[in-house]
Amino acid sequence: MLFEQTDSETALRPLLKEIPERIELIRQKRDSFLTDAVLLGEIPSPTFGEKERIRVVADRFRENGLSQTLVDEFGNASAELPGTEGQSSILIMAHADSVFSPEVRHEIQVGSDFMTGPGIADNALGLAAMISLPRMLSELNIHLRDNLILVANSRSLGRANLEGAHGFLETMSLPARAGICVEGSTLGRLSYSGLGTLRGEITLQVPSDYDWKRFGASGAISHLTGLINQIREIPIPKEPKTQLVFGGLKCGSSYNTSPRQGSLRFEITSEEDEIIGQMENQLNEICEQFSAETGTRVNMEVVAKRKNCGIPFTHPLVRTTRSIMQEAGITPQVDPSTGDLNALILGGLPAVTLGLTTVENLREVNETIRLDPLYAGMAQLLTLIQAIDQGICDS
Amino acid sequence: MIKQTDNWLERNTFHHSAFWDLIKLVEEKEKKGLKISLCIPTLNEEKTIGKEVLILRSELMERYPLIDEFAVIDSGSNDKTLEVAQSYGADVYLASDILPEVGNKRGKGENLWKAIHQLKGDIICYVDADISNIHPRFVYGLVAPLIQRDEISYVKAFYDRPLNYSTGLRPSGGGRVTEILIRPLFSLFYPELSHIIQPLSGEYAARREVLEKIPFPIGYGVETSHLLDLYEKYDLETFAQTDLDRRVHRNQTTNALGKMSFGILQTFFNRLHAQGKLDRMPDLETFYRRFEVEDGHYRQLAQEVVEEERPPMIEVEGYRQRQDAS
Repeated sequence: MLFEQTDSETALRPLLKEIPERIELIRQKRDSFLTDAVLLGEIPSPTFGEKERIRVVADRFRENGLSQTLVDEFGNASAELPGTEGQSSILIMAHADSVFSPEVRHEIQVGSDFMTGPGIADNALGLAAMISLPRMLSELNIHLRDNLILVANSRSLGRANLEGAHGFLETMSLPARAGICVEGSTLGRLSYSGLGTLRGEITLQVPSDYDWKRFGASGAISHLTGLINQIREIPIPKEPKTQLVFGGLKCGSSYNTSPRQGSLRFEITSEEDEIIGQMENQLNEICEQFSAETGTRVNMEVVAKRKNCGIPFTHPLVRTTRSIMQEAGITPQVDPSTGDLNALILGGLPAVTLGLTTVENLREVNETIRLDPLYAGMAQLLTLIQAIDQGICDS
Repeated sequence: MIKQTDNWLERNTFHHSAFWDLIKLVEEKEKKGLKISLCIPTLNEEKTIGKEVLILRSELMERYPLIDEFAVIDSGSNDKTLEVAQSYGADVYLASDILPEVGNKRGKGENLWKAIHQLKGDIICYVDADISNIHPRFVYGLVAPLIQRDEISYVKAFYDRPLNYSTGLRPSGGGRVTEILIRPLFSLFYPELSHIIQPLSGEYAARREVLEKIPFPIGYGVETSHLLDLYEKYDLETFAQTDLDRRVHRNQTTNALGKMSFGILQTFFNRLHAQGKLDRMPDLETFYRRFEVEDGHYRQLAQEVVEEERPPMIEVEGYRQRQDAS
């Protein structure tokens, strides 16, 4: 084991040495990559509505001369850069969907050291970085032995429950050596585990035959408030780390009319799957009891559920990523993922998620990426791909 | 007075999608030995210039070498326009530094005019700096007809305003000044030119050999004067126009449009005067001409608008009798 580690470190050393020069070269060759980030970012791409953005990604793959470009039944665009040997593959994935609805004006402003606009960081930048890889590898004179499989996956966020990533992995034919999920946000992000997650929506309806004269009768807002208070009574353990977040509340439309229905969106994350199961049961019980006691109809729908998964901190892929980050002047921030990484790791692939640059106002309409740190972010990605290709990250 | 213009509309009106094959376009350009310069005139455009330079340079100089020269010609911005443009690789010039011996006038037309001297291309493409949905089509859609058709010398852009899509019918939708001032004026005095769907669009490409032969108003009248002067010198066949789909830009206040109209009217009447149309006023046309697009075909609608007049009431016998009786 010690011998292997030393061997890997020896093999990694020349790659690390090239990082400063790479950062500068990427800075010089940035234009086509930044252009793609803008052009893709200006195409609205809500979850389940990614078709146009995916079409442009597929066009770009073809323009870049990649073989086997296709859009699959799950709405993912994928392409392959054949390796010199092609015995194995490296999978690079960037999600194509965004949290912004098409009604939001998708306009990216470009300054000399920043770009601002809805979804530029999450994840137009990640997509553009993924698309740019063949060109960047060629500019850096890197010829991979493995095939590089590039995937712009649809249906990742929210209710989609990683459907695109799961679908792609189910139908992928070649064995993959490792995977990298590319996110615009945030430089230093290092995810190598997927956090157990349950996302749900509770809807409450006041039925048409509701008895408004009964004791405690009220509209949907008061009922939802009561329901939330009961949910907040659920004990949440500190260890294993667990969190319950209320992410959305919709109810009512006027000043003086009691609404008859409303909904609450929530997410439970925990390092222990069993805790998530217990909390799901408790939520179901609270909803049933609340419904019976108040004469309202309360229904809980689980829209996404993921198990805990991960590779160890000491896995060569994680260790190598940390070394590369350090050399590129990036401080790693370990952050369990609730995104596509789960699909890759649960699919048996050692994988990490990386962020590319510093971001302000994430998921706001004025989401802003800084350009100067981006070149180090790209250099870490390219160097990690090269390290995987050379077997340095194999366990 | 209208000659074969329906045919012109069919032959010389394009949609940018016809030129999607940029590799082919670059090959045709190189075969003909043409050089193309792109000029963006600016004055305080730091919010939009970065994106324009980044996208157009990256796509049309680096990825597909359609453009040989990329210049921003500035009227003296006091924001970061020049710094941003330069950071994305544009050649940046101050209009006042070009041909200093002729002096410096401040206006967009000055920058466009001086570009002819500063830039080397056989074709010069002008693109305004305030387009927030910039895309390579704004350039290749305009230069392509010049590359492919030797008889065309001047290509204007026109755009969609996505109205009435649900019915499949949409009006031509020029800006307010186009619809209220230019189209009626052209219908009256230059009915053939009323086939240009958006005569005031700020994006156009032209051959050096025609640009160098016409004067340039430095202000609002530059687009109108180009059309009138080239039409007078050549004919409608020298023009073409390309549909560039949607253009998103700043909305101007009514006051600003009034000022613009005033400048355009000066240019227009100067031409009428120079061409003897004011001294020997022809019978005014009675057809108002506008456009419709249906299923990708452009159709001119000519609507007769005859402004009949009644005499002063005092000249009417019946009125006079009633007045006398009362």
